[in-house]
Amino acid sequence: MIRFENVSKSYDGGSAALEDMSLEILKGEFVFLVGASGSGKTTFLKLILREEVPDQGQIYVAGREIGRLAPSRVPYLRRNLGCIFQDFRLLPNKTVAENVAFALQVIGRPRSVIHSQVSQVLELVGLGQKGARMPDELSGGEQQRVAIARAFVNRPLVLLADEPTGNLDPATSQGIMRLLDRINRTGTTVLMATHDVGIVDTMRRRVIELDNGTLVRDQARGVYGFDATTSTRGVPAITLGVARDGEPPTGRLAAVRARRGTR
Amino acid sequence: MLQLPFEYFAKETASNLWRNRVMALAAVLTVAVSLSLVGSSLLLRQAVNRQIGEFGANVSLEVFMNPGAPRQQIAEVRSMIEQTPQITHFTYLGPLQSYEQAKRLLASSPAAVSTLSPAVVPTVFRCQLATPQDATALVATFSNGVPGVYRATSPLQSIHVLEQVANVLQVILIAIALLLLISSLVLILNAIRMAIFARRREVSVMKLVGATNWFIRVPFMLEGLVQGLLGAAVAVVIVLLANVGVGYLVRHYHVSVLSSSVLPAHDVLMTELLVVAVGVIVGVVGSSVAVRRFLEV
Repeated sequence: MIRFENVSKSYDGGSAALEDMSLEILKGEFVFLVGASGSGKTTFLKLILREEVPDQGQIYVAGREIGRLAPSRVPYLRRNLGCIFQDFRLLPNKTVAENVAFALQVIGRPRSVIHSQVSQVLELVGLGQKGARMPDELSGGEQQRVAIARAFVNRPLVLLADEPTGNLDPATSQGIMRLLDRINRTGTTVLMATHDVGIVDTMRRRVIELDNGTLVRDQARGVYGFDATTSTRGVPAITLGVARDGEPPTGRLAAVRARRGTR
Repeated sequence: MLQLPFEYFAKETASNLWRNRVMALAAVLTVAVSLSLVGSSLLLRQAVNRQIGEFGANVSLEVFMNPGAPRQQIAEVRSMIEQTPQITHFTYLGPLQSYEQAKRLLASSPAAVSTLSPAVVPTVFRCQLATPQDATALVATFSNGVPGVYRATSPLQSIHVLEQVANVLQVILIAIALLLLISSLVLILNAIRMAIFARRREVSVMKLVGATNWFIRVPFMLEGLVQGLLGAAVAVVIVLLANVGVGYLVRHYHVSVLSSSVLPAHDVLMTELLVVAVGVIVGVVGSSVAVRRFLEV
């Protein structure tokens, strides 16, 4: 679904934000993207959204190389990508339902489609009764649910989440994670950048860790914390393959897991 | 498949305009004033041209003889006129004809007519010129010491003055109009920029969910277009009123000299169309620049 091949990106004059990054995320995966601030997580997401263009290397999203995508085609790429953020980014002067409908309206969907899709997705995120409310009347968790509804209403192939629980308390975060998990189980690939140790540790999904723009860990049921024994530093990322649920981990990772008894 | 959501565009444009109504009003009024000047200067030019055409078509040079000038002198002037190649055609009005002419011209003041008699009215050669530009030179030729000539005049001389005044006036009007057009362009640009700023959240969400660039741009472009069009509409009304006003003056005060300043509907319509076209151009250019510079899509 998403493949990076030797991707490098640096900003004007600065050091590399991403360096020679190669990895693949398959359809239907749930992936955590972890790493300190400035490690390149946001650049990684921006490259997928084509808000940034790589200096070197290729990025494939749904089979298309997006580095060479004409600017006029970028909107159509983004229709396949849902996006949520730490600060929700809702429109304060529109109701909940209007916020969600806006996403369909501005890509020219007919009104009948919008009407049915919006109520459906609001049910899905558990806000079926709150369509007429304004965003500022809702709690943070509810606002993030609205944002998720807006990102998901067009049934994207991939849901990108940039620290979606960063502003929420642990209990509310859990609710959001259950919702993301449910969306993932509909076949949507979910890629979530996060600092939330508890969530990563309890979900036990694939973890990709970045440090200073390089991939330092790619682990099929990982935890948040960086551990030297699980490090893949020095191992070409592409040889790690992709570990999926239900498949035995391969290569050195498997050896590491066997030694640590991680499951 | 792709149906343009006109309702959405209309709503967005209207709400942008309303949210930013003071700026929008400033832009619209500047466009209106500037286009009124453009329109009226064009009408002025057309009126002057018509007026000149009217005068020019009739008499181009009149040589008045002294009342009671001897036949000999009249014959000499006649042959002089005949030998002037710039004069294509002429008629001579003798004492009686000149007297009749004078009576007609002074019909409104009987007191003046009563002082006239064929003996005191100058006789006149009415000449037509091949090119109106020769008028001044010929006036000089015939005024300077030709025996028996009372004086030579050409309406083209006063037309020339009229024309120059009109030229200067038009240049001034166009210059002011251009300055105002530039400022209305800037005002529209700024209004759109503010609208883009007020809508930056919407714009960022639109980009995120995959709205096409044109979809994002259209409401802002429409906003500029509407401002240009509204300004043009006001200008159209002003220009129309100006023309009607001149017509009223001419009819009410019998200012027959200006009768040809009342332009036919066709000319006025063309001018108004031009005014609207300029309004549209100003609006579209202003908003295009704003959209290109400030809407990062």
